[in-house]
Formats: sequence, C-alpha cells, structure tokens
Amino acid sequence: MIAPADSERHSRVIEFTNVGLRYGHGPEILRDLSFRIEPGSFHFLTGPSGSGKTSLLRLLLLSLKPSRGTLTMFGRNVSQLDQDSLLDMRRHIGIVFQEFRLLDHLTTFENVALPLRVLGEPESLYRSNVTELLEWVGLGERMDALPPLLSGGEKQRAAIARAVIGRPDILLADEPTGNVDSELSLRLVRLFAELNKLGTTIILATHELGLLDAFDFPRMSLSDGQVTVDG
Amino acid sequence: MAEVSIETMTVATTVKTSPKRTAAIVPERSVAGRTLVLLIAIMTFLSGVTLGGVVLVQKSAIAWSSDVGRQVTIQIRPMEGEVMDSNIRTAISLAESIPGVSDAHALSLADSEKLLEPWLGAGLDLSQLDIPRLIVVDLGDPKSVDLNLLSKDLQAVKGATLETHAAWRQQLNTMAGTLVLSGVLVLVLIVVATVLAVVFATRGTMASNREIVDVLHFIGASNAFIAGEFQGRFLALGFRGGVIGGVGAVLFFFAVAGAAGSIVPDQASAQLGFLFGRFSLGVDGILGIAAVVPVIASLTAITSRLTVRRFLSQTSGL
Repeated sequence: MIAPADSERHSRVIEFTNVGLRYGHGPEILRDLSFRIEPGSFHFLTGPSGSGKTSLLRLLLLSLKPSRGTLTMFGRNVSQLDQDSLLDMRRHIGIVFQEFRLLDHLTTFENVALPLRVLGEPESLYRSNVTELLEWVGLGERMDALPPLLSGGEKQRAAIARAVIGRPDILLADEPTGNVDSELSLRLVRLFAELNKLGTTIILATHELGLLDAFDFPRMSLSDGQVTVDG
Repeated sequence: MAEVSIETMTVATTVKTSPKRTAAIVPERSVAGRTLVLLIAIMTFLSGVTLGGVVLVQKSAIAWSSDVGRQVTIQIRPMEGEVMDSNIRTAISLAESIPGVSDAHALSLADSEKLLEPWLGAGLDLSQLDIPRLIVVDLGDPKSVDLNLLSKDLQAVKGATLETHAAWRQQLNTMAGTLVLSGVLVLVLIVVATVLAVVFATRGTMASNREIVDVLHFIGASNAFIAGEFQGRFLALGFRGGVIGGVGAVLFFFAVAGAAGSIVPDQASAQLGFLFGRFSLGVDGILGIAAVVPVIASLTAITSRLTVRRFLSQTSGL
C-alpha cells in the first residue's frame, strides 16, 4: 500500500516511455526516449546544438505532444488530456528562456506578477509575494524598471522570478545562462539550486561544460535523438 | 508614542508600495490603432449616411403618399354647348355626396394662374383662354371613400374626369422601395467590408504581438484570457471609430439641411421640401445613426474575438 505522501510524490514523477517526436512528416527528432525524473531532483540537460534539447523541453512544457510513446506527468498520460487539463497542468510548470522573453512594456514587477495576473488574482493579494521574491533574487530596487533598462543578469533573474512566482512543481530552463558571463552563470545556477532545495524539480538545458563541471547534478545527454542519464 | 511610530511606519510603507496603475498586457499602441479607428470611422460614417438617406427617403415617400392620397382632383374640360360654372357646381355637389369626402372646391382662375406661373410667366390672364378647370376634393377618410362610385357619378357631367393620382403614388412607392432596398444592400456591403477589414487588422495585430501571445501561453494563460485582452482593445477602438463616424454622419445631415435652406431659393426650396422632404432626419433618424455606433463597435469586438480565438487555437500548441 502506498502512503499518502508516497502517492503524492509518485504523481509528481515525470516518466518517458518509448517517446518519439517528429514535426509533421519529417524525421524523428527524438527517438525511443525512456527515462524517469524523480520529483525534487535537479538535472542538467546537455547535448550538441540540434540534438533536440529544446524539443524535449517543449514536450515537458506541454506545448508539444509525443508523436508516439507515453509521457506521464503528474500521474497522467499527457497525450490523452484535453485542452483544459493541459492548461491546468501547464500552470504547474515554469520556464526560463535564454533570451529572457520579458514583455518590454511592463515593469519588472508587472512581468514577474504576470502568471498570477492571468489567473485573475487581485494585485492586493500578490503584491507582497512578488516584492519579496524580487528582493530574494536581488531585484528589490529594480521593481519599477522596464526590461530594456535591465542588465542581462537582471533580466534573467526577473525571468526566473516570473517562472517561480506561481510556485511550479517543475522548472524548465532553456540555456538560461547563454546571454550572461561565466561568473553570473554560476550565480544563476546557484539560484536554481536554491529553488531546488525548496522542492522544485529543475531541468536545466545547457551546453556550457564549465557549469556542468561546477555542480554535481545528474546529466541527461541528448545525442542523435536519444538520451542517456548519468551521474 | 510607540504606537504613533508604528502607525507612521505603516503609512510610510503604504505610500512607498502603493500600487500605481497596472499597465495593460496588450499595449494600446501595438494594436493597429489609428488606421483601424479611421477605417471604422469611415465605415460608420458611410453606414450612418446610408441609413439616414434611407430614413429620409422612406419618411418623404410616406408623407408624400399620405398627402397625395388625401386628395383627388376632378378635371372639367370645356365642351361645346356646356356651361362651365354649372358643370363645376354639379361636380362639386356629386363629390360632396360621396361618404368620406370632407370638402370639394373649385380652383379659382387666380389659383390656376398661380399654378401655371412657373411655366407661362407672371401677368397671365386665363379668362381669355378656354382652359380646363380643376376641383380639389379632400378625403376625410381616404379608405372609406368609394372613388369608383364618384367616377361613375361624374359621367353625368360632360367633360369631367377623375384623377386619383394612383399611378403617381404607385410610381413613387416603387421608387422609394427601390431606394430603400439599395440602401439596405449598401449597408450589408459596408458591414461585410468592415468585417473583412477588422479580420485583416486583427490578424496583423496578432502577428505583430506574437511575442506577447507566446509569453502568455507559456505562463499558463488560457486562450479565453488572451482573447479577452485583445478584444478589449478592439472594442475600445471600434467604439472610438464608431463615435467619430456617427457624429460625422449626423453633422453631415445638419450641414446638408442648412445648405439646402440657404443655397436653394425659397420657392424652389419649398418645392424640394414637398417632393423630397426637408432633409431633416428627425429624432428617429438621429437615434438610428446613434444605434449604428454600438452595432459597429460590437461587430468589431465580435469579429476580432473570433479571429483572435482562431489565431490562438492555431498557435497555442495545446
């Protein structure tokens, strides 16, 4: 018998079983992926350019469905979910991009608060949480600044704050350090590690060997559309 | 004292963190603003002018038809061996005996001279000419008058014929009906053109705001939420353009009414007024044009919403 805590933990496992992905009628980008990601874990996703890292992250973000095989997230086969269920599930997943993708006409505060705003929460309820999070990522003094006035590191920290403000169970990061220098890269990954300690599952795609060597997290390596997990 | 300090701190904190107005998720300038407002203003203006024209034509046709329908004319031609005045009296008496006729009176020679003045000039002396005389018969209740009976009775008066204006009324009704139908057709075409223009403008706007749409998608916004953000913008634009076009259409009719009164000489103006109405829309016409504004604004909002929803369903990836 599974205890309630174990049951909840089981439901947060991500499981790929013989997953394949192709765009339209093209060749398979990802082939026969079978692996399991435990809740609360931290994985680097690595591989050469064009190996399918972004496609794998898009599968995990639910913006693509597997062409074949089974992807189970939150205890459910994502291929069998309707649009509303997928949308509901997506709200448990945060994502950070290399190019930040902040909205330039909104302040840092408004960008970070956006996931709560789209859920219809009133600003009076989330204001203190957003302020606290911005201070935690070191942007307390930059809340009213527009993204074009932020440095690369500040933009990425704002993007991370936006990704985690909704307390996601899974945080995906697609080359989040691609546009910042190596020292700031290390600081950003430490920030992800802090979030991981709070229980968030982290999958961070990068091809920077320095980062991979600096942290002792398991690596998922993609090559020729197939993945190997080590460490 | 300590309490005062705490309150002061609280107030200070409140002032520091008091929220300023939250920016719109879809920036106003990013929605093809001015062009779309101008386009909708032009479409609303055209709709308003067309609708106003239809109202004017219909009101004039109804008024004209009603006025003409309340009168018939008996014409008595001069005949050899007949006394005109005697025939006129007989005809009047026959007309007045018909139920529903409220009055019958002959036009005097002076009245006839006045009628012919625009064609034959002033100072005409008709007493020297043998011209037909007219008797105007006013119908108190046009529906109850048996004009066939009157026509039959008038056969007793030599040279008398009854003119009911039925052919004129038929012609006028046909013409007015054609104009109204044409106006409605133009309105339909304007609506179709507006819908197509809004569809293209919306698609352009969505394409240029693709980044915002993508960001909203990956942070978990539903298509309904995103569509609502864009629809709000389009509703505002549609309403603004509609008001500008509607006010322009009403001003146009005021200007035309003013110009018709000042440019056309008084006598001609009166005749134009008799034939075509007074270019006055009336309250119902103005209300009709005012109703075009929310219709165009709603049409813009509904069209943009459907276009946005279609765009989102193609791009959401869900």
